[in-house]
Amino acid sequence: MQFVINTRLGELIMRILFRHLLTFAPVLLFVVTAHVVTTAQTAKLQLDQLDVLAGRASETVDVKLDEHLMQTTAKFFSGKDTDDAEIRDLLKNLKGIYVKSFEFEKENEYTPADLDSVVSQLRGGGWNKIVGITSKKDGENVDVYLLTLAGEIAGLAVVSTEPKELTVINIVGPVDLQKLSQLEGSFGVPVLNLPPPKKSDK
Amino acid sequence: MKKTLTGLVLLAIALSMPLRASADGDGFNDAVKLIEQFYHVKHQSIPLLARAGMKAATTAAKIRGGEYKKLAEAGSVRVVAFEDQTFDSHGQITKFRSELQQALSGNWSAFVQNLYPRTEEQDYIYVRDAGKNFHVLIIVIEKHDATVMQATVAPQTLAQLMKDPENTGKALMDEATISDP
Repeated sequence: MQFVINTRLGELIMRILFRHLLTFAPVLLFVVTAHVVTTAQTAKLQLDQLDVLAGRASETVDVKLDEHLMQTTAKFFSGKDTDDAEIRDLLKNLKGIYVKSFEFEKENEYTPADLDSVVSQLRGGGWNKIVGITSKKDGENVDVYLLTLAGEIAGLAVVSTEPKELTVINIVGPVDLQKLSQLEGSFGVPVLNLPPPKKSDK
Repeated sequence: MKKTLTGLVLLAIALSMPLRASADGDGFNDAVKLIEQFYHVKHQSIPLLARAGMKAATTAAKIRGGEYKKLAEAGSVRVVAFEDQTFDSHGQITKFRSELQQALSGNWSAFVQNLYPRTEEQDYIYVRDAGKNFHVLIIVIEKHDATVMQATVAPQTLAQLMKDPENTGKALMDEATISDP
């Protein structure tokens, strides 16, 4: 008798659990998926907030190269040319290149607050500043950030500010300073003239 | 049951109508229409003679024993020009950019967007899949002229465009518009 009651109780509990599991399964799935997507997207910075500066700038450059375009074109860089072979190897693992650059006619047409939306994303969350160059003479600052996830480089960001110029570069994927220098002048990435990378920066 | 089904189908058609009316999803025509509406200008088609000039360039290069490397796939180029008209956004150049982005938001990816509000210059390169090839849409607006060009390009050409957007974009535009008698 005791056994029968226990079995029925067990069945009831299992039925309730199963019913609740079914009810909450989509929610659970959503939470898990959202976490995976968020993790994958942390290397891609939200740069759209900078678009307001286009109204004040005398020159705006906006480059977007997503994963699909990169992967489709990467294999068409022939291995015959050394440069092309290096580019192909570099591109095949990248998931995106995003560049926003603004040039202003006068100084102080943008403020550090305009950059807050970008800088706040680079504080924590796996991002680390690996290079910081400040030139008091020219008022030029270049900060390079690397995102490391599970011990692997997942992205790179460059924030370059001058009194009349502002550039933000975001490369999604395994890229280091050496690879960044290979991309300079191509794929919409401006020439940054960064110092040669130290071994620890790679 | 039949009545309900028919009703649902009619409702679905009715709901899809406004979307179709606002943009035909062609990209090229959407961009041309937007320029005309935003700047109150009228386009001209590239004269046939100019297009014939492209053929002449190919032939001349072949006669000279050189190699004429065509960037766009044969017969895929569509060009519309706006000449000697005024392109003044009255300080609303970013509004035009947003509207263009909206008009092409379907399946086009904005690759490069350059804006120079002081001189009213803008240029855009949009890309979308076209089977094994790609469609490239280039829009160049200057103070008194504008050109909209769409072409189908092979992935190799797209790779070249990705690597050097400025020069390859210009070469594509030249190929589509400049006559070489």
